[in-house]
Amino acid sequence: MGVAACGDEDEPATGGGNSGDQTAEGKSLTVFSSLPLQGASRVQTEALVNGAKLALEQAGGKAGAHTIKYESLDDSTAQAGSWTPEAESANALKAAQDESTAVYIGAFNSGASKVSIPILSEAGVPQISPANTYVGLTTNDPGSEPGEPDKYYPTGDRTYTRIVPKDTIQAAALVTLMKQDGCTKVAMTNDKEVYGAGLARVIELSAKEQGLTLTSNDAIDKNASNYRSLAQKAKAAGADCFIYSGITANNAVQQFKDFAAALGSDAGLYGPDGVAETGFVSEKDGGIPASLNKQVKVTVATLSPDQYPPEGQEFFKQFTEKYGVSNPDPYAIYGYEAMKLALDAIERSGDGSKEKIKEALFATKDRSSVLGTYSIDENGDTTLTDYGAYGVENGELKFDQTIKAQAQG
Amino acid sequence: MEAASIPAGPPASQRIKQLIGTYGLTAVLLLLPVIFAINDLSEQGNLVRLGENLVAGLSNGAIWALVAIGYTLVYGIVELINFAHGEIFMIGSFISASLIGTLGLTVDSSFIPVFFGLLVALVVAMIGSGTLNVLIERVAYRPLRNAPKLAPLITAVGMSFILQNVGLLWKGGNQQGVPDLLDAQKTLVTVFGVTIEHADLLSIVVTVPLLIVMTTFINRSRLGKAMRATAQDPEAARLQGINVDTTISLTFLLGGMLAGAAGLIYAMYQTTIWFFQGFTGGLIAFTAAVMGGIGNLRGAVLGGLIIGCIQQMSDNRLGSEWTPAIVFSYLVLIMVFKPSGLLGEQTRDAG
Amino acid sequence: MDAGDRVQLPGLDHGVQAVGPSRRADEGRRMSVAASEVQTPPDPTGKKSGFQLPGWAEKGLIPGVVLAIAALLPFIPSIGDKANLMQQMAVALAYVVMALGLNIIVGFAGLLDLGYVAFFAFGAFAVGWFASGHFAYVNDEKGIHFLVSGNTLNLPGIHFNFLIVLVIAIVLTTIAGMIIGLPTLRLRGDYIAIVTLAFGEIIGRLAVNLDETTILGGTPVTAGRQGISPVDRIDLPFFEPFTVLDKKPWYWFALFLVVIVLFVNFRLRDSRMGRAWVALREDEIAAVAMGVPAVKTKLMAYASGAAFGGISGAFLASLLNTVNADQFQFSFSILVLAMVILGGLGSIWGVVIGAIVLSIINNYLIPDVINGVPGDLGLEFDMTQITFAIYGFLLLLMMILRPQGLLPERRHKMELTEHAETTDETLYTARA
Repeated sequence: MGVAACGDEDEPATGGGNSGDQTAEGKSLTVFSSLPLQGASRVQTEALVNGAKLALEQAGGKAGAHTIKYESLDDSTAQAGSWTPEAESANALKAAQDESTAVYIGAFNSGASKVSIPILSEAGVPQISPANTYVGLTTNDPGSEPGEPDKYYPTGDRTYTRIVPKDTIQAAALVTLMKQDGCTKVAMTNDKEVYGAGLARVIELSAKEQGLTLTSNDAIDKNASNYRSLAQKAKAAGADCFIYSGITANNAVQQFKDFAAALGSDAGLYGPDGVAETGFVSEKDGGIPASLNKQVKVTVATLSPDQYPPEGQEFFKQFTEKYGVSNPDPYAIYGYEAMKLALDAIERSGDGSKEKIKEALFATKDRSSVLGTYSIDENGDTTLTDYGAYGVENGELKFDQTIKAQAQG
Repeated sequence: MEAASIPAGPPASQRIKQLIGTYGLTAVLLLLPVIFAINDLSEQGNLVRLGENLVAGLSNGAIWALVAIGYTLVYGIVELINFAHGEIFMIGSFISASLIGTLGLTVDSSFIPVFFGLLVALVVAMIGSGTLNVLIERVAYRPLRNAPKLAPLITAVGMSFILQNVGLLWKGGNQQGVPDLLDAQKTLVTVFGVTIEHADLLSIVVTVPLLIVMTTFINRSRLGKAMRATAQDPEAARLQGINVDTTISLTFLLGGMLAGAAGLIYAMYQTTIWFFQGFTGGLIAFTAAVMGGIGNLRGAVLGGLIIGCIQQMSDNRLGSEWTPAIVFSYLVLIMVFKPSGLLGEQTRDAG
Repeated sequence: MDAGDRVQLPGLDHGVQAVGPSRRADEGRRMSVAASEVQTPPDPTGKKSGFQLPGWAEKGLIPGVVLAIAALLPFIPSIGDKANLMQQMAVALAYVVMALGLNIIVGFAGLLDLGYVAFFAFGAFAVGWFASGHFAYVNDEKGIHFLVSGNTLNLPGIHFNFLIVLVIAIVLTTIAGMIIGLPTLRLRGDYIAIVTLAFGEIIGRLAVNLDETTILGGTPVTAGRQGISPVDRIDLPFFEPFTVLDKKPWYWFALFLVVIVLFVNFRLRDSRMGRAWVALREDEIAAVAMGVPAVKTKLMAYASGAAFGGISGAFLASLLNTVNADQFQFSFSILVLAMVILGGLGSIWGVVIGAIVLSIINNYLIPDVINGVPGDLGLEFDMTQITFAIYGFLLLLMMILRPQGLLPERRHKMELTEHAETTDETLYTARA
């Protein structure tokens, strides 16, 4: 598989963090985002777009000397109701051929990134994903498929970065959390998507390593009206905890209700960042019923709100002011940070060329942000490894503890 | 049209074929439960697990049965697969859920307000869904009576998209929890180790009377007779002085009302609603209608109950991801063995 | 049905529209055509209407000009330089191929197929299996390569030349078409629709779920909803391998496929088989009594319709660089069916137009035009919220305004008109 240089590029080191380069005049640059704006993911993607808009607005539409325009593209179609390869690759091509393209924020779904990365990598367009956690997009860690990630970078040029930690870390955090809570046998379901199934795979690996028994890893049909029979099976297998690896939109609420009813009111119920949102935890917003609140725990790579740096606090205040949402969807923060990082990289690039922006992006070091302080490593992954474990109280996520997980799978 | 099949053999062999057809179908339907029963007996020494599957299956299936009747009624009278019917069912769920919210019913409400609240919700959902269905017929299907057969199929799909969008705007893209007013998953009684939950009782208590009323209405009343006559032969019915337009509207009204009722039960039973539930639920209910013999009311009920059981058994033993494939495989098998369905042969097009 | 259509009602032997040129295309060259003309009863009311092009012009000129314009479009800089536009045009052409395939099954043979997506899936998986790194473990992770060049030679997995993959796709889908066709042979009307729908759903489920069943050294059969990507690009003999960023060659290749498929379509329609399809569609008993082999004829319709779906599916997989089980959903079958019905059942040019119109609506009109309207009006309304409804509304509107399709086939149209005149009170369907 000799095409790519196995990820050990040298450029980041030379790119440097020095932002002092002076250019004569600023260019007019475009930041694209490609997200599924229609269908079930709409709530999250709307939050992402709003977050990104807010970040740009705060910066006054400028990054250094450059004027930045933001264009939100849709990678879903009405006919499909979810992202389609056609739309995602058309978006990537649009960004690829546009002279003014600076950064491509996306994709939302890891499957969609598999489509856009090869195009953008060939065109040399820097990419920041605000949501992908699938391991194989950036590394060949356990849980990835053969040939990954090199096959996504046909020219060997790494252009893809992400601000959410890859699943390996989250899986370890979840397993640690479950062991800590005294789970002995855990029933797992996954939603079969790149994210859900990928995370489930690494959870299996991590559980084996840490000595936690998984009684099952059932792929679910997201359109099923209930999971009672499936939950009965888990009960029969003696499970005392339940973990769901997937996103809210794939019928998470129903699963939690049915497994809670089958496993009893003492069973711990766990979920990943895919369900760490108001739409899942708040009964008012159609989430899990209040009676389950004390049983549910989720992990997210964001800090406890009160631990946010001042600019994070500022973000919450402004977001609430602008969009009238008191408790923004977690993806709003990711959208905000993706845009912030893009603007930062453009500013540090100096001349605003794609090549320089990419170098600056990969050279991101110790950036303090709403997500905490992180760097981007040579694979394009964030160095954030701390996961926040959240409980649910009165229909709101309540920070519980920080989990230092072992990243190695 | 009836004779338009490939010429069959002599009557004797035809009869044998039909016998095989009937028994083949029954055998196919019994295959899974029998295998599972043997399996359970040898492993656990009792049939509790199968019993649980069947109880859950029957109560789930009762919901599908109500939706399936809508398909069957409409198909019986105008030979149209009403793709928007699933969405009518979804809107029924949404109406009930919203009404429950408006009435301020919560988990803590006591029995009396819950009972009357649900009764009101049931009536409103039935009226709402029924009216909507009639409107859809007026707007999307009636102008196309003389169009090619497939044209209304496309408008039905168009309507279904529009209603899905309404649902999406109304309650958002994620599944929405509904207050679990009835404590749906709480055990009511345990019979031979098989638990019967509140939800099971609910679906039986609402479905059975509705079905009885509906069948009586269609069999006894004047309008019901007009419906059956129109289904048999619209031209002749018209000559008999039956107002075909009114009869068709009535059919859509009845189908929609049942879908609305199913919507309420679904919301209370599953305690989660979703803008997409109509699409998948619709396909399942449609399968049920076909399984029972499309155009046949009792067939639709039977089909719904059977599909419900197949789903639960498959969820429990084969994995929930395979359930849709299993359901559709059964559909193909039925089409191969007995295309007119289990109790079919009451429509013009049964073949 | 508006009055204009009725007045226009053409005699069977004198087509008015340029749409049906090649109905008479082979006149005088083959006896079979003459036979088909004889089979159809003459229409006493038929009269020449409008102006008529000479036969040769009808036959070749208009389609020729249209195709020439289509082939030259990429040379216009404002079109050719936009890779995303070129790609969407290539996708639209792939949909044309797909719709033409479904048209054989639904339009020519009258077998309502609601599971056409199955053939798309098989075509796409031909690429996923035989032209990608999916089976990474075969041949000691060195891969199997056949008539491929360049970088691909170094990749693990099975890599066949795209032309061979096309052949594989055709074989796979033809077999699949026959298997799906078999249980429907005894059935009619909507029952066929139901069985094909069920098959389409089952194939879609298999695509999603077979990511847990492994073959060939531990690779799953499909990659499920995670998708097989990337896949090999098209690599034709005598041409440079296609690239990701330049979509012009892809577009031309798609156009080439369309031309071939159009040609085959016209030939099929005017062949003995084509007439047998129409005969079965119109009156099965009579056709069988006249000696039309029903089983063979129906299976041929499924097989050839499926083959086109397979070709298009393989092309789309390569163009979009992925084979993802999420693509193979019921809504896709409906999309292709809508293209056929919108264009006009059985009308070859109509279907071409239907496919292009729906592609434009889906990929251009809604996202690029309609979604911008509130913004242009200065409103803070996000149109993407209601794209589902717009799409549904457009389908509804088009069907109510022109239920016979944009360019109806003459025979279908005639039936409709006659029908409308005789029995006004009949229901949605008078014919099964």
